Amino acid sequence: MDRATATRLLVGRLTSEVVVSNLGQATLDLQRLGDRPLNCYTFGSMGQCSSIGLGIALARPDVRVICLDGDGSLLMNLGSLCTIATLQPRNLALVIWDNEVHMTTGGQPTATAHRSSFAQMARGAGIEKVLEPRDETELGRVYDRILAEDGPFVVPVKVSRGRAEGRLDRDVVGYARRFRQALAGVPAGR
Amino acid sequence: MADPSWSKHVADVLRRNDIHLFATVPDYIVSQVLEHLWADPACSVVTATREEEALGILSGAWLGGQRGALLMQNSGLGNCVNTLGSLNVASQLPVVLVISHRGDLGEFNPAQVPVGQATERILDALGIRHIMPRSVGDLETQADGLVKLGYTQSLPVAFVLPAELTGGKLG
Repeated sequence: MDRATATRLLVGRLTSEVVVSNLGQATLDLQRLGDRPLNCYTFGSMGQCSSIGLGIALARPDVRVICLDGDGSLLMNLGSLCTIATLQPRNLALVIWDNEVHMTTGGQPTATAHRSSFAQMARGAGIEKVLEPRDETELGRVYDRILAEDGPFVVPVKVSRGRAEGRLDRDVVGYARRFRQALAGVPAGR
Repeated sequence: MADPSWSKHVADVLRRNDIHLFATVPDYIVSQVLEHLWADPACSVVTATREEEALGILSGAWLGGQRGALLMQNSGLGNCVNTLGSLNVASQLPVVLVISHRGDLGEFNPAQVPVGQATERILDALGIRHIMPRSVGDLETQADGLVKLGYTQSLPVAFVLPAELTGGKLG
């Protein structure tokens, strides 16, 4: 499965959910394939995508939050799995694009190219809903589930290696401000 | 001799400035503040695994409309440096840092001293405004103004809590 196709399958299903994207490839894919004010792009602080998503989910328990993290990044912040498991935010899903390399820096293998498994680490952390879609059909079903059912979910997705197309727009302050205003504009619900 | 009411004053400063979400990697000193927050049903406290994870959580909460404060030791500030710069300062996401100051006057543990002595310079290098109140009176004089400045400029600000205020940790 390639990451752009997997991203498109999600973008086509979105309504008023928040999507938090990991720096580099995930943010570039999301900007290019489905830019919208409720996208929370990250550009630095490698490893923080899932934590930022958790914070949004805690501040707005009425809004569903989907993180698009990367293997290299989440490996820098594995404790985040434990904190998510402890707090059990029902409105959070952590999708991990696992291409088994540090793609942005030239394709150096990560630990998941060797012996490490996000699914097993998430279960070990105490996450109950760990889903591992193996093709686009299964991924579509997983998206339907994480957009409707209580989480937290962790969804490791093996994706092919490859750089995202296009160029990042790095209006870091502007995108943060746009996102905060857009989320404030989503009426409190549920 | 430290005024034992210092920890309630710190907790009250945060709460009266509309901060009710807290993240922490606790130490002996900030735990005295956390006792007040844990006991307050209006407050939520998240114990993170590392201090930069806590910053990510509080940054997300700010983007979701909630103010937050991070309570940690100055060793945690050392862990936070890149996230403070590349997330909070770069994206202008404010957060209040409450940092117990180990590694200064009266320190017994040599491992605490290098980062303790570097604490103010780390904050200065990142352009993070900070105060180091030596008494409860000193804290009350400056605290509201510091928090207000942080949200005015939409950047992190820091309370560094020295042993003169807190009594430190006595071995």
